Amino acid sequence: MFEFLSNNISTINFVLINISLGLSIYITLATGLLSLANAGFMAIGAYTVAIIQTQTHIPFSFGFVMAIALGVTLALPIGIVALGLRDIYLAIATLGFGEIVRIIALNGDKVVRLFSTNKDVIVFNGAEGITLAYKTPTIIFGLPDTTWPILIYCLVAIYILATLHNSRYGRILASIRQDETAASTLGINVARYKLFAFVLGSAIAAGAGALGAPIVRVVDPHNYVFSRGVDILAYAVLGGMTHWVGPILGATVLTSLPEALRFLKDQRDIVNGLIIMLSIIYLPAGLADPRVWTIPRKLFALLGSMRSSARNDSKGL
Amino acid sequence: MKTRSFLFLTILMVLFGAYPVFDSSVANAAQTNTLSGEIPIGAVWSLTGDAAVYGPSQKNASELAAEQINKSGMLGAAKIKLITEDDRSTKEGAITAFDKLIKEYKVVAILGPTLSNSAKAADPIAQAAKVPVLAVSNTAGGIVEMGDFIFRDSLPEMLVQPNTIKQTKNKFGYKKVAILYGNDDVFTKGGYDAFKKALDDQGIKILATETFNKKDSDFSAQLTKIKGLKPDAIIVSALAEEAASIMSQARQLGIPASVPIIGGNGFNSPKLAQLAGPAAEGAITGAAWLITNDTPGNKAFVEAYHKKYGANPDQFAAQAYAGVYILADAIKTAGSSNPVAIRDAMAKIKNLDTVLGKFSFDSRREPVHAPVVQIIKNGQFVLFK
Repeated sequence: MFEFLSNNISTINFVLINISLGLSIYITLATGLLSLANAGFMAIGAYTVAIIQTQTHIPFSFGFVMAIALGVTLALPIGIVALGLRDIYLAIATLGFGEIVRIIALNGDKVVRLFSTNKDVIVFNGAEGITLAYKTPTIIFGLPDTTWPILIYCLVAIYILATLHNSRYGRILASIRQDETAASTLGINVARYKLFAFVLGSAIAAGAGALGAPIVRVVDPHNYVFSRGVDILAYAVLGGMTHWVGPILGATVLTSLPEALRFLKDQRDIVNGLIIMLSIIYLPAGLADPRVWTIPRKLFALLGSMRSSARNDSKGL
Repeated sequence: MKTRSFLFLTILMVLFGAYPVFDSSVANAAQTNTLSGEIPIGAVWSLTGDAAVYGPSQKNASELAAEQINKSGMLGAAKIKLITEDDRSTKEGAITAFDKLIKEYKVVAILGPTLSNSAKAADPIAQAAKVPVLAVSNTAGGIVEMGDFIFRDSLPEMLVQPNTIKQTKNKFGYKKVAILYGNDDVFTKGGYDAFKKALDDQGIKILATETFNKKDSDFSAQLTKIKGLKPDAIIVSALAEEAASIMSQARQLGIPASVPIIGGNGFNSPKLAQLAGPAAEGAITGAAWLITNDTPGNKAFVEAYHKKYGANPDQFAAQAYAGVYILADAIKTAGSSNPVAIRDAMAKIKNLDTVLGKFSFDSRREPVHAPVVQIIKNGQFVLFK
C-alpha cells in the first residue's frame, strides 16, 4: 500500500487537483450555467501564489488565501456582467475571460514595467513562466507534505458541495437548472443564485490552481489555455453533471486512466479514447448516473435469488 | 585486561568502519569487468499533444541508436533497455513519467523530455533521486542550472545564433534589421532573446521588434510595417508553420528577395520548405546539425534512419541519436550501471565522436560542438557559405 502510494504520488496529486477543478465546474453546471472560466480562475490562483512566493517572503498559506480572495473579487463583477448571457453565449464570454487572463499573464511584465522604476523587472516572465524552487517533500503520516493540503482542500470542497446538494440552496440551484422561468415564478431570485454558484465555482478553481502551483512548479500561460478549460469540462461531462460524485469519478478516471494504461505504449491513446467513448455512449448521464448505482444492488438481488432458489433446490432434493 | 578489551574494540571498530569502503571498492572493480544484463534507460518524449511534431523523430532515432549499440556489443555483455514514455506535451505528463521511470523501472538515466518547460517541471525529481538526465532538445535557459545531474546535448540558441549572425553579416554586410517573433512560446521567445543579444553585441541596429502568437495566420500588419522601414535583413523566430506563412506573405507584400530572412531553431524542420514552397528559397538558419554533415557516422545514421523509417532525420532526431551514444559511452567508461558513476563519467566526456561532431561537455554540463549555418536551396537545407 505504502509503495503504491509513493510510486504513484504525482498521479494522486494530479487526480486530487483535477477533482477540485471538476467540482468547480460542477457547481455552475448544476445551476444550468455553461461557464468555461475555470481555467482562467485556476491561472489567477496559480499566478497569485507563484508571484507571492517569488517576489516576497510571505508564506504559502497566506498566498493561498490571497488566491481565493482574488478569485472571488474578480468573479463577482465578471459574474454580474456575464451571467446576463445564456447558454452558448455565456460559454463564449467566459471563454473570452480565460483568454484575457492568459494574455495578461503573457504580457504582464510590460504592464508592470510601466509602473515600475526598474525597466527590466521580471514578474510574470512571459511564455517561460514562473519556476518555483524544488523542495524534496517530507513525508508526514505516509503522505508527502505537498499532498496533504490538496487532499484536505479536496475533502472540504466535497463536503461543502455535498452539504449544499441536500440543502435548500442545492434544491434551488437544481430548480434553476431544470426550469429557470418556473423557478423565478416561485419567487427565487435567479440572478443572485446564479452569481452565488459562479463565485463559488471560481473560488474553488482559484484555490485548486494555487495548490497545484507547488506541484507542477512551472506556472506558464500555456498551462491554462482553452484545452485546459475543455479538460475540466470533460471531468464533469464524463462523470455526470447532476450529482457531486460525478466530477469526482470523471476527474479520477480521466487523470489516472492514461497513467494506468502506460503499459499499452503506442496503443494507449486508442484504448483511452475507446473507454471514454464507450462510457459516453452507454452512460450518457455520466458515470454517476443513478442507474449505474443500482447495478450492484440488482446484481446482489440476482445473486440472492439464485442462492435462495439453489437452497430451495437442495431442499427439494 | 581493560586495555586489551579496549584495543580489541578499537580494532573491531576500525574494521567495521573500513568495511563499507573496502566493500564498495571491490564491488566497483568487479563491476568494471562484469557490466552485464539489461541496463534500463528512460526516455520521455512528447508523442502526443502540441509538441507531437518533435517527439516521434526523437523516439525513432533513440530506438535506432539503442538497437545499434546492442548489436555492436559496445557495452560488452550488457544491453541497453530503452523505456519510452509519452508526456502528452504537458508538465503533468512529464512529472508522472519521470516518477514512474525512476521509482518503478529504476532507470539509470533519462533522456528528454522534449519541451524545456516540461524539463523545468520534471528534472528536479531526477536530480533529487540522483539519476542523470540528458536533455536532447531543450534549448531554453535554466536547464542545466537545475542541478549537477542535468546535462544537455542540444546547443542552446544563445550559443548557435551569435555564429549565425556573424556568418551572415560577413556575407551580406547588413547593418539594420527588423525582428519578428512569437512571444507566447518558450522556444521562439528564447530564440528572440538569443538573436537580440547577438545583434546588440555585434553592433547591428534593430529597426523594429514585432510579435505574434502561435497559430496566427495573418502577418500582413507586422510585415507591412517592417517593409516601410526598409531593413537589410529580417530576423524571424517562429515555429515552422508560422515561419512558412511569414515568408510567403513577406514575398507577396513585395519585400524583395535581396532582403534575407534569418530564422531561429524553429526553422529546423523539413516542413518549412514544404509549406512555404518557392518563398522559402534563401531562408537561413543556424543549427546544431545538418543532414549533409561529414561528421563521423552521420552518413550511416541518415541511411539507417531512412531505411528503417522511410524519412530523413531532422535535427531533433540527430540530437536524440547522439544522446543515446553519449549515455552509452558514459556507461562504458563508468563500467557500471550506477547512476552516480554514469553522471561522473558523463561530466568528463571530451571530444567524443558523434553525429553532431566532436562532442564535449563544459564544466556547466552544457554541450560544446561547432554549430552550422544552413540555407534553403531548391527546397533543401544546404551548408551556408
